[in-house]
Amino acid sequence: QKNGVSNGTLYKKTFIEHFEQAPMYVAVFTFVGFAVGTIFGYLRDFMRAWGLEKRNIAAEREQQKDFVPLYQDFENFYTRNLYMRIRDNWNRPICSVPGPQFDLMERVTDDYNWTFRFTGRTIKNVINMGSYNYLGFAETDVNALKTVTRELEKYGTGVCSTRQEMGTLDKHVELEKLVATFLGVEDAMVFGMGFATNSMNIPALVGKGCLILSDELNHTSLVLGARLSGATIRIFKHNNMQSLEKLLRDAIIYGQPRTHRAWRKIIILVEGIYSMEGSIVRLPEIVSLKNKYKAYLYLDEAHSIGAVGATGRGVVEYFGMSPDDVDVLMGTFTKSFGAAGGYIAGKKGLVDFLRTHSHSAVYATSMCPPVAEQIIRAMKCLMGLDGTTQGLQRVRQLEKNTRYFRRKLHEMGFIIYGNDDSPVVPLLLYMPGKIGAFARRMLEKNIGVVVVGFPATPITESRARFCVSAAHTREMLDKVLNALDELGDYLQLKYSRYSKSSHPELYEETRLELED
Amino acid sequence: FQAPAYHLILEGILILWIIRLLFSKTYKLQERSDLTLKEKEELIEEWQPEPLVPPVPKDHPALNYNIVSGPPTHIITVNGKECINFASFNFLGLLDNEKVKSAAQASLKKYGVGTCGPRGFYGTFDVHLELEERLAKFMRTEEAIIYSYGFATIASAIPAYSKRGDIVFVDEAACFAIQKGLQASRSNIKLFKHNDMADLERLLKEQETEDQKNPRKARVTRRFIVVEGLYMNTGDICPLPELIKLKYKYKVRIFLEESLSFGVLGEHGRGITEHFGINIDDIDLISANMENSLASIGGFCCGRSFIIDHQRLSGQGYCFSASLPPLLAAAAIEALNIMEDNPDIFRTLRAKCEHIHKALQGISGLKVVGESFSPALHLQLEESCGSRENDVKLLKRVVDYCMNSGVALTQACYLEKEEKCLPPPSIRVVITVEQTEQELDKAASLLKEAAQSVLN
Repeated sequence: QKNGVSNGTLYKKTFIEHFEQAPMYVAVFTFVGFAVGTIFGYLRDFMRAWGLEKRNIAAEREQQKDFVPLYQDFENFYTRNLYMRIRDNWNRPICSVPGPQFDLMERVTDDYNWTFRFTGRTIKNVINMGSYNYLGFAETDVNALKTVTRELEKYGTGVCSTRQEMGTLDKHVELEKLVATFLGVEDAMVFGMGFATNSMNIPALVGKGCLILSDELNHTSLVLGARLSGATIRIFKHNNMQSLEKLLRDAIIYGQPRTHRAWRKIIILVEGIYSMEGSIVRLPEIVSLKNKYKAYLYLDEAHSIGAVGATGRGVVEYFGMSPDDVDVLMGTFTKSFGAAGGYIAGKKGLVDFLRTHSHSAVYATSMCPPVAEQIIRAMKCLMGLDGTTQGLQRVRQLEKNTRYFRRKLHEMGFIIYGNDDSPVVPLLLYMPGKIGAFARRMLEKNIGVVVVGFPATPITESRARFCVSAAHTREMLDKVLNALDELGDYLQLKYSRYSKSSHPELYEETRLELED
Repeated sequence: FQAPAYHLILEGILILWIIRLLFSKTYKLQERSDLTLKEKEELIEEWQPEPLVPPVPKDHPALNYNIVSGPPTHIITVNGKECINFASFNFLGLLDNEKVKSAAQASLKKYGVGTCGPRGFYGTFDVHLELEERLAKFMRTEEAIIYSYGFATIASAIPAYSKRGDIVFVDEAACFAIQKGLQASRSNIKLFKHNDMADLERLLKEQETEDQKNPRKARVTRRFIVVEGLYMNTGDICPLPELIKLKYKYKVRIFLEESLSFGVLGEHGRGITEHFGINIDDIDLISANMENSLASIGGFCCGRSFIIDHQRLSGQGYCFSASLPPLLAAAAIEALNIMEDNPDIFRTLRAKCEHIHKALQGISGLKVVGESFSPALHLQLEESCGSRENDVKLLKRVVDYCMNSGVALTQACYLEKEEKCLPPPSIRVVITVEQTEQELDKAASLLKEAAQSVLN
């Protein structure tokens, strides 16, 4: 069912998200599929234990056979018996730039995915629907990479020191100023890895005696950072404001468990766009809750910076709010900027504190200069500082591509999750057998997709996830959509009960703004 | 046969009592929802949180950091002044090597900068596979796995194997990344005194007696020893042969962190196992970062396939993070080529380390901490002047004196509240192959002068 919220003054445009439930028979068949896989798994384990079948996994050393076993047999049951069957759909190696099209290395298996071997051929010009290349900055155009080449020649690739010792280069200072200007905040600090930005800075901000309210579907880096901090963690239902408000009220009224002392501070951890659902955080409501209950907000814009918003400034701009509403703005440069690393931005006091107390500033190497230069040139392009309107064009193109792709998928009758404006499009597959079939058939049609199953998603909701890019042309998207149409009929993936295709004459709308 | 009247009356009363009990309100032993709505609103009004971050004083030493203009190579421009670089971990001088740079340029032309995805979702490039093969071949192990950040390497490797209920014996002087890995693993941590094998054996014996009390639990509890090849905090090496003996005697697995010793120790730079001549299969996992000798970014783990393959699905920094940019992987491959083609740079580096170790002896007020062949030494105050803050200020004056005279040094930085065993404040001296004998002598005499003028 759709939930369109027109919340009066809070939301300036309609906020439509879809989380349609599949018909009951789909869930039944999914469980049946897993049960069959499990039964066969037990059978194969039995045969392997009794020597009727060859063991293909690497084994412990002879000299260490009497040590305590390193892995429990049961832990690896899923890996051995279910994942191994469809393992060829992940870790596919590529040998070109991860742009809108790329080249895959052809890989075959002689023993049912236990080992792979490369034939030496490459599959050329596969359409890339899997890489996080939202604005198309993953490119090898010589003109575009002119400054990066120059900086690589000047600085080399390493830094060999930490930020607090001898690792702060003038490039980092330049980059931090630019990030602060881009986001409209006082100051920013950059780190060498996006994952580490979360796991090393959340422990610096909160500690014992603090409360973290974290969304159900937060990324592993946020969960790891929250655990390492030592604070108490409470989880609220995904994007559900009533659940969050209840937790906030209970926290302030009843205090810490058992002692009932007041909490030192309360921090809310949310993401801008959730990468497995494609949903956008309900920022206006969270900010009003945060102001009412005096909590702090930590917003992880890994997927949303550059990808949403009229000029690519992220969810803060998408909802028309000011960056002062969010206490800690965090993001990564891997997705929309085609580089690597992360940043945290906010008030000067916050960033000064992180410069002195962040684990990354004291113990981890700083970002490498050519990568910093790539971020600088991408940001300058987005802000229009390089004299062209290319940045703005990219953002608009991404918006157009997203709307077109999502609308067409809805019309065809697939179940798609997420917000209408998010470039992350999860398409539900449900049954385990279809995961492998879908990815392999799409590769045969020269399209590379990403499929995810348990444990990254709930066990009944396996999905294929598409990442729309500004660099995709209309032809590429049409090719993908036609392939999906065919495959959807062949694999019977069109579960949606609300598809417009069932009553085409009622939905003869002309969407003028998309057709130019 | 009819029941007597008092029976019927008693049963009637009983039924009425049951009906009353069924329909009466349940009560809890602890009255929690005693508060009225008004009281709740008042509590919410009154609650004041701490500020998000405490204010940082403007003269905090970490806020006045050194800014380096240009590449941090042998001659470094710090805060506008040109100095000889004794502070960056560029042991083999590969930071500005022309061949490395041109390999990175070629990779940049072919692949662009970023990989735009984790290893599982089209983020695996052929350069990553090549680098993993080369590293495994160089270290003579079966398999290697690359991470995109040095800190995340050991911090993701340890929790992939050691879970809640397992036991880890770790040296007191282990670096912060190991400490974070241990914290994430939620295992039982037992610290033993730095390089003290007797202390470790005592802990192992205690564990053995514990096991005999509960053999069923002991059969599923994994045990690990985590040590570093060359310790970052103290500059000395771990006694690996004794550790191997303890490993087989008490059936514990060894994880070796070789960030400083990879590319430094051993005849061909293979690290501490080559230095001691130990069979590399005896070590379960070797983890190192590529940010020191290889002058790139990232880290790797190597060992037998049985062990390393597990990290491809359970190493958090591997599965949930974008992969290493290909230009950095190409630079690392080229650096490995140079290491393989010129095996005598390791001997040169060690000779330089011995030279400066000797030259720095006898400075009044400062003592040298570290092995004679370690390229990362510490200079600590012989006598502390009371508080850590004053020690730090004093050492800063020594460092400033040297910086003004053309030698770039830095103090070793730690997070004072977070470390388990905080090392004393010290000046870090880093030796690279690019430093000439005159420069080493100049640095030593400058340090003597500085110590004289500041500490006396």
